[in-house]
Amino acid sequence: MAAGLERPQVVAHAQQALSYTLFDVKWVPRSARLLCLGSAARGSGLLQLYELRGGRLELLREIEKAKPLKCGTFGATSLQQRYFATGDFGGNLNIWNLEAPEIPVYSVKGHKEIINSIDGVGGLGIGEGAPEIVTGSRDGTVKVWDPRQKDTPVANMEPVQGESKRDCWTVAFGNAYNQEERVVCAGYDNGDIKLFDLKTMSLRWETNIKNGVCSVEFDRKDVNMNKLVATSLEGKFHVFDMRTQHPTKGFASVSEKAQKSTIWQVRHLPQNRDIFMTSGGAGSLHLWKYEYPAQRSKKDLEGAEMGVAGSVSLLQNVTLSTQPISSLDWSPDKKGLCVCGAFDQTVRVLIVTKLNKV
Amino acid sequence: MPVWLREHRWRQTAAAVYLSLPVRGLRVTPANIFCTDRYLKVSIPPFLFEAILYADIDDANSTAKIGNGIIFFTLYKKEAAMWDSLTLANASKEKLQYLRENAVLKAHEKAKEETESKKVTKQEHKKYALEATMKLEEAERKRIEDLKEKERQKVTKELELWKKQQEDAEKQKRVQKEGELHQEVEQLKEKKKEKMNKTRIPNEGTSKMRLKATKGCHGSRTMFSEDLKEEQLPAPRSAATIKINFTSRVFPTALRESRVAEEEEWLRKQAEARRTVSADLSELEDLKEEEKNPDWLKDKGNKMFATGNYLAAVNAYNLAVRLNNKLPLLYLNRAACHLKLRNLHKAIEDSSKALELLTPPVPDNESARVKAHVRRGTAFCQLELYTEGLQDYEAALKIDPKNKTIEKDAEKIRHLIQGTTQDS
Repeated sequence: MAAGLERPQVVAHAQQALSYTLFDVKWVPRSARLLCLGSAARGSGLLQLYELRGGRLELLREIEKAKPLKCGTFGATSLQQRYFATGDFGGNLNIWNLEAPEIPVYSVKGHKEIINSIDGVGGLGIGEGAPEIVTGSRDGTVKVWDPRQKDTPVANMEPVQGESKRDCWTVAFGNAYNQEERVVCAGYDNGDIKLFDLKTMSLRWETNIKNGVCSVEFDRKDVNMNKLVATSLEGKFHVFDMRTQHPTKGFASVSEKAQKSTIWQVRHLPQNRDIFMTSGGAGSLHLWKYEYPAQRSKKDLEGAEMGVAGSVSLLQNVTLSTQPISSLDWSPDKKGLCVCGAFDQTVRVLIVTKLNKV
Repeated sequence: MPVWLREHRWRQTAAAVYLSLPVRGLRVTPANIFCTDRYLKVSIPPFLFEAILYADIDDANSTAKIGNGIIFFTLYKKEAAMWDSLTLANASKEKLQYLRENAVLKAHEKAKEETESKKVTKQEHKKYALEATMKLEEAERKRIEDLKEKERQKVTKELELWKKQQEDAEKQKRVQKEGELHQEVEQLKEKKKEKMNKTRIPNEGTSKMRLKATKGCHGSRTMFSEDLKEEQLPAPRSAATIKINFTSRVFPTALRESRVAEEEEWLRKQAEARRTVSADLSELEDLKEEEKNPDWLKDKGNKMFATGNYLAAVNAYNLAVRLNNKLPLLYLNRAACHLKLRNLHKAIEDSSKALELLTPPVPDNESARVKAHVRRGTAFCQLELYTEGLQDYEAALKIDPKNKTIEKDAEKIRHLIQGTTQDS
């Protein structure tokens, strides 16, 4: 029993029942506030700002928009401005100033169909280079936007003419360790994962993991790409070692099947890039730790370098809800503080303890 | 008839009777001895010794020692009195019998009682054990709960502390900002007085930068460095497009490993169904395997159409139709070939057949139906049956109203019709 209690524990700190479908939750950087966004029953989008006070969530602001909101990010904004970028069901990308949310700071109808996933890089004092936002949509395209350039994306990853499109379910930025380098990783519903290099504007790597890809994330956006975790349907996730790319075999990976249901999200702990949490369709959260192998790369028969994947161990798991937990976010300011939103219309603030000892 | 053992000897004290019974050569076990409070019997078949005692004894405490060819009984008297004799003398047969039976009954009852009491004690022991384990488990559970609760409280306290720190930091920053702002304003006033006509960075700019500098000094280094970075941000990337291909998937749903087997099965069955709907065996024997597959023939036909070899394409489609006359796409493509070959009547026939097969009209076969209408319309127009042609074009437009080429062509036809009616 004692050994069991030395593991990190997931403590439920506060929760709030909402009256709308919750699609995404995000911490406001440098504060104890969080944003919940989703779709109200009347078909409009809702954005609510909560503050964590004394073990309870207090509603500070509620903003209603025309179309239901699907996803949002603070990734491309500066720390003073803290503008929030959202993607909605109508394919519009908007950047809002939460102090004056009536008119968006930037708005574009980026896609023909719902924007499923959004990510930002270059903001919050993390990383270098221009702030950019990437959106992935059901119309099969992945587009990168620069908030300083109106109407046209700076990069557009679209299917070849005549190719039937597959839904893009998730996007993530990575490898942004200097001003020129950047990659975008996109996951699609037919199991494709594609890695686009924005510096050379080309497809750098692609693979298929045999199940629709629900979520991809690099362990850090602003370093030389180290690890990529991709989660999928059927309860599987893959961790790719991105340091060594073999010319034909691509990146080495280790995969784990944690549960029978879809793994909706993966999020790395901002303070320790080897710890990540996955959220599942059965309302459960699993906390994992990645261990590196003794040697991260080895030579194959022809002498080409190929990566060696490490191993993943389960630190803790907990079931919070009967409905899928569709969104998850770690607080960048307090280690172990995280918020998750589930389809039972509840947002929960959790604290994961003992992460220092892991 | 049992053999009576009569060579017993006895002596007594006030409290006890000592009886010794020789049993030379016989093996005695405790089972052979039967004793109640008035009756004593030793039965080692065929030998028998029995004694109906003078008075009651305490049979629970009395003992019998077996050994050396002798059984030595120590019987404790219930009442301390001297007995006249060991056994009851001049007892009648009936009395004897009655006493015997009584003794046996009593023994039985005693045995029953004993078992009962044993059962009861066993029950009690079990209950006690159960309660004890429950208590232990409860204690364990409580201990864990307490630990968890302590963690929770500790963590909540830490969180509150951290929040307070944040707020204090914010307040400090604000106070500093105001302080600096005051200083700045005064400094600027002085500067304004000194330098009147210099074009410099606007005042707001300087104050902002100074403020940002102070903010930077107070711990949020990132803001300060970010300010520098702002000046060095690269220009927006030059727009480019990357074209991608997807791993092909026939179904519009997401890929799941557990469904792959089912999906393969379905596709295989579909392909089977298409292969030979109407097969004419005698003529088909000399065809190669792939030539019997209407899909393969359709592909061949498409390729030949693309290269411009319309007659060959028509042949391919003809063969495919003979194999399976239920595929609308074959007729559709053949109609296109006929159009190119200017076999207009045949084109009309084929487009009509295609449209027939493309019922019910659903969004899936929208594009096919549009093509059929357009081809039939073109054929009509080339035969100078403009009204019919226009009808087909309008039908096509109804299915796909956004198609500009169809609209333009429909307009042209309308003008033609109006032109001819005007002339005549």
